[in-house]
Amino acid sequence: MAKNLKLKSSRAAKDMSQKDLADAIGVTRQTINAIENGDYNPSINLCIAICKKLGKTLDQIFWEDDENA
Amino acid sequence: MRKNELDEMQVQKRNRIGNQAFMLLFYLLIIDIGLYGFGFKWLKYPTNVFIIMLSCMTYYLVRIIWNNAYIGPKAANKLSGKKVIFIVAIAMAISAMIIFISKKNFIKTQPIDGSDNGALILFVFSSVSLVIALIVSIISKRQNKDEEK
Repeated sequence: MAKNLKLKSSRAAKDMSQKDLADAIGVTRQTINAIENGDYNPSINLCIAICKKLGKTLDQIFWEDDENA
Repeated sequence: MRKNELDEMQVQKRNRIGNQAFMLLFYLLIIDIGLYGFGFKWLKYPTNVFIIMLSCMTYYLVRIIWNNAYIGPKAANKLSGKKVIFIVAIAMAISAMIIFISKKNFIKTQPIDGSDNGALILFVFSSVSLVIALIVSIISKRQNKDEEK
């Protein structure tokens, strides 16, 4: 699975570390790391929680680019 | 909400590792039964069953700690290395005390079939497993610090 660079850049734009984001939504840092590296497919609830925390929509973070589809 | 609630990825990992450990336990017991049928007794009952069960539990415990599926995100911040060492030390002390008291108070008899070593093997295996779990936990914590970018 391709890396989720949109998540990484959205998180960086908010000046949040992986740990900060993980603590904010109640998961471990390893889960956020795995999502960003494409090693884990989050559930829709987790996707929504991430989007709410970063102030983005699901499409903006989790929709695949044409290159990665 | 429970303090040690695992997140969804941790639950998935733990379930997968648990299934593998269960299958390992099943196949090891089946193999042991097969070997017994051919007349090969590597250890007397119940020591052989103890060893197989403790091996599988150790495998399960080490793997879930290695894969960060042992403690949840909320409890992870609270658990420190000193607490783990303290818990391990208490467990070993209790095990040693139980074995010492049982040996002192019960009538000493000559073991007929040599299976009296079950308790000692249990203690040794538990201690080794806890030490391994502690080492893996410490290594995992250090790895997590290195991974974060």
